[in-house]
Amino acid sequence: MGNKTVNLIGKNSMRIVLTLLPIIGFLILWQLAAMFTSIGNLMPGPIQVIESLFISFAKPLGPHTIQMHALYSLKRVMVGYGSAVVTGIIFGVSLGLSKMFRALFRPLFELIRPIPTVAWIPISILWFGVDEMSKYFIVFYGAFANVALSVYMGIQRVDPVLVGAAKMLGCSERQLTFKVVLPSCIPYIFSGMQVALSAGIMSVVVAEMINSYEGIGWNIHAGQQTANMTQVLTGMVALAIFGLLMAAILRQVERRMCAWNTRNT
Amino acid sequence: MKKDFFSKYTVISIISVTLFFVIWYVLTAKMMIVPAYVMPDPLKVFGALLRKFTVKTPDGATLGSHIAASLQVALMGFGFGTGLGVPLGILMAWYKTVDRVARPIFDFLRPIPPIAWIPVMILWLGIGTEARAAVIFMSAFIPNVINSYTGIQQTSQVHIWVGRTFGASDFELLTRVAIPSALPNIFTGMRLSLGTSWVSLVSAEMLASTRGLGYMIQIGRQFSRTDLVLAGMIAIGILGGLLAVILEKVENRIVKGRQGYGK
Repeated sequence: MGNKTVNLIGKNSMRIVLTLLPIIGFLILWQLAAMFTSIGNLMPGPIQVIESLFISFAKPLGPHTIQMHALYSLKRVMVGYGSAVVTGIIFGVSLGLSKMFRALFRPLFELIRPIPTVAWIPISILWFGVDEMSKYFIVFYGAFANVALSVYMGIQRVDPVLVGAAKMLGCSERQLTFKVVLPSCIPYIFSGMQVALSAGIMSVVVAEMINSYEGIGWNIHAGQQTANMTQVLTGMVALAIFGLLMAAILRQVERRMCAWNTRNT
Repeated sequence: MKKDFFSKYTVISIISVTLFFVIWYVLTAKMMIVPAYVMPDPLKVFGALLRKFTVKTPDGATLGSHIAASLQVALMGFGFGTGLGVPLGILMAWYKTVDRVARPIFDFLRPIPPIAWIPVMILWLGIGTEARAAVIFMSAFIPNVINSYTGIQQTSQVHIWVGRTFGASDFELLTRVAIPSALPNIFTGMRLSLGTSWVSLVSAEMLASTRGLGYMIQIGRQFSRTDLVLAGMIAIGILGGLLAVILEKVENRIVKGRQGYGK
């Protein structure tokens, strides 16, 4: 038995080593390339980037420290994304449940939906000015359609057997909606929220790159304008960590709230 | 679909869309609730869209050449992203060694939104077509790899067993069993990456370009030509929709024997 555990640990650590090896190799190659070839003139090595990331926790990068930048971006994502989730769920549910609502709003929705989020930035600046409002709007638009469509699809795919069974047992329309249809589309709501979250983060970064004075996207853009490649890459790494963290939090919430349904994501 | 063309709900839909444009027109052209530089009326926008085919001001090119520039870059980046992403996803899912080597680096690069690459690519490749194509490549590459990978991984074990029983080699199993059964997933990846390609194209053009639809709306904003901005948005929306429809037609041709939901 002891033998077996040792073997298991050996296998596990072997796997970890095998996973880390390519990353380390990639980083070393990058570092060497930055140190010894002309790539060094174009971009810093990984050590410099990670160092700058850690320094930026204490020393401001531009107007703020990196965690303040992240908080600015977080606030924009939260306001825009939060309102998109709420309205998107309501809109999607209404689309799915009411034929009248669908007839009224589906065509308009389909008319506006193909326009990519970024194309709204110039007009949102004209409408809402350069303040926070235009960024909220961009994040909202980026997230809304994802949530709405996913919820709508979820309602369409409610298992007909469940609906039939509920009806046979004498469910009223109201009970059917609240006890069967809505709970069964919760996984779709979450998958829509997950997709919408990455869309929202992407939108906030573009919005900040085009028009802002702070935030993670600003960092990347400001670095580009002053040809400060370290700042650009620091911003990118911070952004990646930010996105991963948000997705992980949402996944935890999902695991708590619908434990019966384990999606493999 | 054709049968209920004039049903009650179709009529309601038509009325709702018409009403939308009428209200827009009345609010802007008749009641002047907002000045024209904030929101021009719909007739002006469509007029601007049509006129832009011949007029070069204020951004120095007609709508046709903007569209050509955008399409060229988008298709180039999407083509390379699909051409490299799909095979890599397939190989990663089928061969453990490829997976071990490529997966960690891929996971490392994956969470970075494609548009964050814009500054890096501009620094590496200049502000020419190559930089934009490279950004679009990044945005098309990632969904393609992920979806092909899941597609191959979801190959039914039974199908593989049957293939083995009939003496298929490993390579034959891959090309005859796994890849065909992964095709729906591969196309889902292509559809997703086409969407993201189009988004990153527009942002790349807004940030650094001298041609293309994104550039056109950016200049339109700087000149307060809101009609042009909206016309550009409409053109972007229509083209993006068209590309998606074309891809769907191709998919319907190639993917056979689909089960379950769908049309």
